Amino acid sequence: MLILFILAVPMLLALFSVTLGQKLSTVAKMNSLGHLTLFLTALWLMLDVGLSGKVIQLFNFFYLDALSVFFIFVISLVALAASLYSITYIEDNVKTGEISPKKAAYYYLLFNFFCFSMLLVPSVSNLGMVWAAVEMTTLISAFLVGFYNTKQSVEAAWKYIIICSAGIIIALFGTVLLSYAYFLGTGAKSLNWPELLSAGAVLDKNILKIALLFILVGYGTKAGLAPMHTWLPDAHSQAVTPGSALLSGVLLKTSIYVLLRCSMISGASLGPQYFQHLLLMFGLISLVVSCVFILVQSDLKRLLAYSSIEHIGIICIGFGLATPLAVFGALLHILNHAATKALMFFGAGDVVRKFGKHNMHAIRGVIKTMPFTGSMLLIGLFALTGLPPFSIFISEFLIIFAAIAKGSFWTAGLVLGLVVIIFSAMLSHFSKMLFGKAVKDAEIAHEPLTGKLAFLFLLIPICLLGLYLPGFLNGTISSAVKVITGA
Amino acid sequence: MELPIIFLMMVFSYALVADRRVPNAINNFRWQSFFLFLLTLLLGFKEKELALILVAGLLFGLKVVAIPYFLQRTHKELKASDDLGYFLDPQLSMVLLLVLSYLSWTFVHSLFPACDRLQLVMLTSSFIMAISGMILMVLRMTALAQIIGLLVMENGLFLLASSLSGGMPFFVETAVFFDVFVSVIISGVFVYRIKKYFTHIDVNKLSRLRG
Repeated sequence: MLILFILAVPMLLALFSVTLGQKLSTVAKMNSLGHLTLFLTALWLMLDVGLSGKVIQLFNFFYLDALSVFFIFVISLVALAASLYSITYIEDNVKTGEISPKKAAYYYLLFNFFCFSMLLVPSVSNLGMVWAAVEMTTLISAFLVGFYNTKQSVEAAWKYIIICSAGIIIALFGTVLLSYAYFLGTGAKSLNWPELLSAGAVLDKNILKIALLFILVGYGTKAGLAPMHTWLPDAHSQAVTPGSALLSGVLLKTSIYVLLRCSMISGASLGPQYFQHLLLMFGLISLVVSCVFILVQSDLKRLLAYSSIEHIGIICIGFGLATPLAVFGALLHILNHAATKALMFFGAGDVVRKFGKHNMHAIRGVIKTMPFTGSMLLIGLFALTGLPPFSIFISEFLIIFAAIAKGSFWTAGLVLGLVVIIFSAMLSHFSKMLFGKAVKDAEIAHEPLTGKLAFLFLLIPICLLGLYLPGFLNGTISSAVKVITGA
Repeated sequence: MELPIIFLMMVFSYALVADRRVPNAINNFRWQSFFLFLLTLLLGFKEKELALILVAGLLFGLKVVAIPYFLQRTHKELKASDDLGYFLDPQLSMVLLLVLSYLSWTFVHSLFPACDRLQLVMLTSSFIMAISGMILMVLRMTALAQIIGLLVMENGLFLLASSLSGGMPFFVETAVFFDVFVSVIISGVFVYRIKKYFTHIDVNKLSRLRG
């Protein structure tokens, strides 16, 4: 029943935002409280399902195992942080007249529908419903991308809807073919992935290969894998800031979740070579493409968007290597990147609001004028670029180490080289922005406590997971690794 | 009985890539969807599957009546140019589609050796329909062409699902229809916004975000 509760919370919050629309501060606080409940429930699920490695099934429709629980936890973590950040952010937007109170209520409605659709993806076992949920995420988040109704945001939202919808139709082509491969093998119809997985040995291999290609291109588009990533920098840079955090932090990962489920089916039928090699290839391409664009980027939010492509690339490389250690590293990287990227987007959102521009070359002295946000950005930057002792360092290290242990020296070398280049580029971009000379008589910003809470909340996993992996997380990820590798 | 319906569906796929005007493209999409509805209904009666007949009803309501009406109305209200605008001439697009049709036939033949002739024709048609949708999306300039392209791609997908093992489970089919309907409405909303902020709906000129 917990699974229904998890899905009901965002729907109830959406209802509250409509009915209590005029009392903005109540809506905002209720929203955070609701997401805190959601986060605690996800934590409980980790302790219950994740640690024991058991499976919860409901109506042959909902399905929770360690892997889905882990993804629900990541979504709820970023959603809670985004809901905390939204309190001050949206209130400020209303105060400055950028949006009306009615639109603020509409924001909370979208926010919760978006969370609901993302939570639905890892909760259901039917690949058709998973598809519908992923498409739903696109349709709802398009409004978060086009929220400010500027020329740029409308253009970004349009590209986002069209490219992702086309991608997702290709994914449905793959899903239908996958179901046909099952039909040829067993004579029965099914889109339930546990059934597809258990029939792995008898699936029609030729059809399966084509189906998986379609699925990889389709969901890969939504996950932001290069070269299908073109919508991503536009959408992530134009979205309302908490929306950017959700888009970059977790939405991309929901598509990775679907790819993982399909890679399990592929592994059961075709062995570990086929789909995993494709993931590895797309991961490396994404890393190279993002590296080039990060080097020449001057727009703060676009830079962070390209950095998401980089990290999705690293995650895919981890899954592509397919050893238990690499998969462990990739799963941990999903969590670490989600927390760090959300923090960076919050910081970037504050900077853009304060300076009124996205261009990093035109922003100087952030540390001086925004001491709290500036410091958070600095810590986030170190974490994002993989410096020890922050969390991303550990997960990147695990993936590179796994590549070396597997004998994939070229992969390890390439990842290491590109990560170092990206590190230098990011440091160069941010150092000028953070430490450059501030404009004379610039007013020093004092962020309210609610604004700081979101940063401080995210700082806990970013700093802690680099030094210590709590037992419940270690246990859940280990169980999820077993689910993926079948070991 | 099925073959003539599939043939007519194909005619409208080719007509779509040869169209130069938006209202024609919407009409051709309507006719393609109508024959897809007929085919689904026929298969439903033949296999005595109530779910397929219900799906056919949904198909008729949404893709033959509601969506084309919505698109025509949007087009009229926006007072946008009738011209579809193209990166690749309609004649050349037709040649491209013909070449890709042949490749689809070869591809389907090699991938589905176990299928009977009717299934092979249906499968090839589904790929051709999806490709014609892609051509509309990529090689036409107006935002409405991209929406029609998506819908045509979805028609192809629907045909693929019907030709292989009698379609998807009913609740999935309903969810997909719901998603498609919502996506058309949402795309429509954004077309209005594009018109409002850019005073045109030419996606080729949406180039503020680069790099």
